[in-house]
Amino acid sequence: MTPTELADLSRVLYSPVTLSLYLAAAFVYLYALTTTVGRREERERGMRARKVGLVLAVAGIGTHIAHEIVRGLAQERLPLGNMFEVTSLMALVGVLTGFIYMQVIRKRPELNGFVLLGGALVLASALLMYSEPGPLMPILDTWWRTFHVSLLVAAMGIFAAGFVFNSLYLLRDTGELAVARERERQLEGSTVGAASAGDLDVADETSGIGGRTIDRLDATVDDGRDHDAEYRAALRAGVSVPRLVIGTFLGTSLVSWVFVYSAATLAEGLTRFLTINLVMVAAALIARWFVPLLPPTATLDGIAHRTIAFAFVMWTVGTIAGAMWAEQSWGRFWGWDPKETGAFLTWVAYAGYLHARATKGVKGRGAAWIGVWSFVVLMGTYLIANYVIVGLHSYAGL
Amino acid sequence: MGWRWLVRMRTALMLLGVLALMTAVATVVPQEPNVPTTVRSWRLGEEGPGATVSAVLDWVGAFDVYGSPAFLALLLALFLSLTACLIPRIRAWIRLVRRSKPPVVKTVGGSDITASFQTDAAPADVHAAAAKLLGGRVWRIRRHDPEAEGGPLDASSGARSAPSQVAAEKGLWSREGGSLLFHLSFYVLLAAIVFGQLLTFEGQRGVVERDRGFADTAISYWNYQPGRWFSEADHAGWRLELDEFEIDWIRDPLAPGAGQPTTFRSTVTITPADGEPFQDVVEGNQPLTVDGFKIHQLDWGYAPRVEVEVDGQMVYDDLLTAVAADGGGFRSAVKAPAADPDVGLEVFFYPFAPDGDGGPSLTGAPWDEAPLLVVRQWRGDLQLGATQQTVNELDTSGLESEGGAFLRPGDEVVVEGVTIRFPELRRWVGFQVSSRPQIPWLLVGSALLVAGLIPALYAYRRRVWVMAVRPPGQQRTLVTVFGRAFQRPEKFEEEHGDLVTELIRMVGVPPDDTTDPDDRAPRSGADPAAAARDSATEVMPR
Ligand code: HEM
Repeated sequence: MTPTELADLSRVLYSPVTLSLYLAAAFVYLYALTTTVGRREERERGMRARKVGLVLAVAGIGTHIAHEIVRGLAQERLPLGNMFEVTSLMALVGVLTGFIYMQVIRKRPELNGFVLLGGALVLASALLMYSEPGPLMPILDTWWRTFHVSLLVAAMGIFAAGFVFNSLYLLRDTGELAVARERERQLEGSTVGAASAGDLDVADETSGIGGRTIDRLDATVDDGRDHDAEYRAALRAGVSVPRLVIGTFLGTSLVSWVFVYSAATLAEGLTRFLTINLVMVAAALIARWFVPLLPPTATLDGIAHRTIAFAFVMWTVGTIAGAMWAEQSWGRFWGWDPKETGAFLTWVAYAGYLHARATKGVKGRGAAWIGVWSFVVLMGTYLIANYVIVGLHSYAGL
Repeated sequence: MGWRWLVRMRTALMLLGVLALMTAVATVVPQEPNVPTTVRSWRLGEEGPGATVSAVLDWVGAFDVYGSPAFLALLLALFLSLTACLIPRIRAWIRLVRRSKPPVVKTVGGSDITASFQTDAAPADVHAAAAKLLGGRVWRIRRHDPEAEGGPLDASSGARSAPSQVAAEKGLWSREGGSLLFHLSFYVLLAAIVFGQLLTFEGQRGVVERDRGFADTAISYWNYQPGRWFSEADHAGWRLELDEFEIDWIRDPLAPGAGQPTTFRSTVTITPADGEPFQDVVEGNQPLTVDGFKIHQLDWGYAPRVEVEVDGQMVYDDLLTAVAADGGGFRSAVKAPAADPDVGLEVFFYPFAPDGDGGPSLTGAPWDEAPLLVVRQWRGDLQLGATQQTVNELDTSGLESEGGAFLRPGDEVVVEGVTIRFPELRRWVGFQVSSRPQIPWLLVGSALLVAGLIPALYAYRRRVWVMAVRPPGQQRTLVTVFGRAFQRPEKFEEEHGDLVTELIRMVGVPPDDTTDPDDRAPRSGADPAAAARDSATEVMPR
C-alpha cells in the first residue's frame, strides 16, 4: 500500500471503527451493570452482555493498536510526534491499562464500562487535534525522546483512568453522605434515636470510609416496601443534578477554553468548547445514574490510588528521561520551559494527592478532590503548553 | 508556627500546594530568563494583559518566579518541613528495623482475612512448616510456643496465655525505608543543583565554515555565563574550527512535513591544548565532549562575505553571521567605521529568491538555491560604543539613507560612490559550550528517588499468624492462617490465599477432608478494604 492509502486506512481504523467499538463496549458494559441488582434471569442476561462487552472492548483495543501500527507505517516513524498522536496513545494506554487492571487484576469487570467511556472521550477529543501523518523534526527524533514521550503519554492515560475512578468515588461518596445525613435527621426526630444511634456504629463496620453508615438498617423490617430500591434511589438523589451539571461545566471549562483560544475562528472555537463541555456534562450525568450500582467507596478509592501511584512512578521516570534528553539535545537538563514547568506542576500536584491520602483529616474526599484537580492540572498544562505558549518543545505539525 | 507546625503532614501538603501555585504562575506568565523579549513586550503592554497588570506582575516577581525571594523562601520552608518530618521518621525507622517483632495474638481479629483447614500433621510440625515457608519468603518471624518454653519468656503482656503460633510480618521497613530514601534524595538533588549553579559554565559562540574558529578562553565567547566558582583558569583552552556544516530539508512542498529540516551536522576540527588536532562531528542529538566541555549546535545561519570599498580603499571585508528573521530571510549588518563618514549596511539575505517577472521573488524557503543579498546603505555616525547594538543590528539614528541594491553571489554594485561586493556564501553555526560537573550527582539523586519511590508505593505492611491446634483426644490438627494488610488489602488477599495453598501443600490434608482442595480461596472475615481505611499513618504497635 502507498503511504496515502495507509494514512486513509489508519484514519478509518481510528474513527469510526475504534471509536464506535469503544462506545458500544462502554454501553454494553454499563447495561450489564444495571442488571446486577435485578432478578435472576436479568442478571444472567447481564452476564451474557458482559461477554459481548468483552468482545467489543478487545476488538476496539485491537483496532486501536492496528491504527497506531498503520499510522506508524504510513509515516515511517513512531506515532508520537504531535498532539493527535499523543492524545490517541493516551487513550489507548488508559483503556488498555484500565481494562487489564479491572478484568485481570482487580477482577471487577463490571467497572469496564467507565474505563471505556473515558477512553472513548479521550479518543474523540484527539480528533479535535487531528493532523495528517508526517515526518518528525530530526532534533526530536532520538531514542531518549521516544522513551521520555512514551512514558509520559502512558502515564497520562493511566492518570485519566485514575481521574475516572476518583470522580466515581466522589459521586458515590456524595450519595452515601446524603443518605447518612438524611438518616441522622430522621433519627433525631424519632423517639428511638439513642438506640438506633448504637446500631449506626455497628453498621459502620461494613461500610466504606469514615464514620457513617451506608447499611440498610431497616431492610429487615417487613412492611412490603422494596427497601433496596428505595436506598438506591436515595443514593442517586443524594447527588444534586444542578450542582453536578454546573460543576462539571465549570471544571471542564478550566481546560477547554484553550480550544476557543486556539481555533481559527471564534465560532469554531466556541462550538468545540461547548461540545467538550456538554459531552463531559452528559458523561457526569450517566455516571450519576450509576451511583447506586457502584462498589463501596473504599474500593473505588483504592482503585484510584493504585492507578495514580502506578502512573506517578511512570511520570517520575519519564520526566527524568526528559531532562536527560534535554541535556543531550539542547545542552541543558532543565530550563523551566513551559512544558517542563507543566510536567513539574503535574508531578507536584499528584505528589500532593499521595500526601493527602496519608494525611489525617484530608484523606478520603479531600484527597480525591486533589486527585481530580491534579488531572485538571495535567490536561491544562498539556494543552496550554502546546496551544498557547510555544516553547522549545512544540511539536511538528501541531 | 514552630517545630510542631513544621512536622505536621498538613504543613507539607500546604507547602506543596504553594509550590504548585507558583509553578502554575510560571506556566502562564512568560519567564524573563527564558523569553526576555516576550517579557519586554508584556512590560510595554504590546502583548499580554497590558502594562498596568504587568507592573503588578513585576512587583510580585511573577516574571522570574524561580529566581524570586518568595520562591527561595518556599524552598527553604519545604526543606525545613522535610527535615523536621524526616528526623523522627528516620529514628523510628531504625528502631523498627532493629527491634520490631510481630506481636503475638490470642485470636483472630475482627477485620482479619482468615482461612482454616485440617491436617494430620502435628501442630509443632505445622508451625515449623509455616516458619520455613514464611522465612523463605523473607518475612520477619516470631515463634511462640508457651508449652515448650514453659516460662515467662516473653515480656509483652498476656503473651504467655496466647496459644502456640507463628507470627510474621513483612513490608515494614521496605515501605517506610523507600519513602525515606525518596525524600532524602531531594537533598542530593538540591545540593547538586546549588553547587552546580556555582560550578557550571555556559558560553555561546558562532563559527563560520572554513574560517578561523575560536579557542576555549573567557574572552572568545559571544555570550558568557560562568557560575560564581568557575574561574578563567578552569577553561581547557582547546580550539574549534568548523570544516563543514550540512543541513537539509524536505524540499518537496507537497510532501508531508514540507520545509522541516532533516539534517543538522557540523564537521569540526578540534585542537586540544596539548595534543594533535582531530576531526569529529556534532549533530542535533549528539553533542561532542572535549576535556569535560560539551559542545552543542545551538543555531545556524548563512554567512555571506561582503566587501565594501570607498574611493578605492577597502573599508570592510568580512563574513557576516546573518540570523534567521521573519519571512524566511536572514538579517545582518555591516559596520565600516574606517570610511569617512562611516558606512553602515542593513543586510537581508534570502537563500531562495529566484528571478520572477518583476524582479526576484522571495519564497521564504531556507535552502540556498537562488541566494539574494538585499542591502540598504547608510552613512553618518555609527555610534559604535555609544549605544547598545548587536552585531546583526544597525542603529540608524545617526545615519542617513543612501539607497539600496540587490546582489547575487559574485555581483558588485556601486551605491552613491560606495562599491559593495558579494563574492561568496558560506554558513555559520552557533555552538554552545558547557561544563556541568553536577550531572553525575543529579543522576545519582534521580536514581535514589526512583529507587525509593517504587517500594514506598508498592511495598505494603502486613502481618500473618499461623495457629495450629489439636484439641485433646482428636486425631486432626486445625490450622488457621489469618492476618491483615495495612495497605493494598486486595493484594494481600491474593498473597494470603497463596500462603494457605502453599502451607497445605507442605503439611498435607487428609484425603477425606471435607474441604475441597480446589476451593481453598480464603474466606474473608470482613471487608478487606476496611483494614486499609486508616492504615496509612497508623503507627504499628510493637
Ligand atoms: C515538605 C516536605 C515533605 C514532607 C514533610 C513530607 C512528608 C511525607 C510523609 C510523612 C510521607 C509518608 C506518608 C505515609 O506514611 O504513607 C510522605 C510520602 C510521600 N511523599 Fe512526601 N513529604 C514532603 C515533601 C515531598 C515532596 C516535595 C514530594 C514530591 C513531589 C513528596 C512525595 C511523596 C510521595 C510520592 C510519598 C509516598 C506517598 C505514599 O506513601 O503513599 N514529598 N511524605
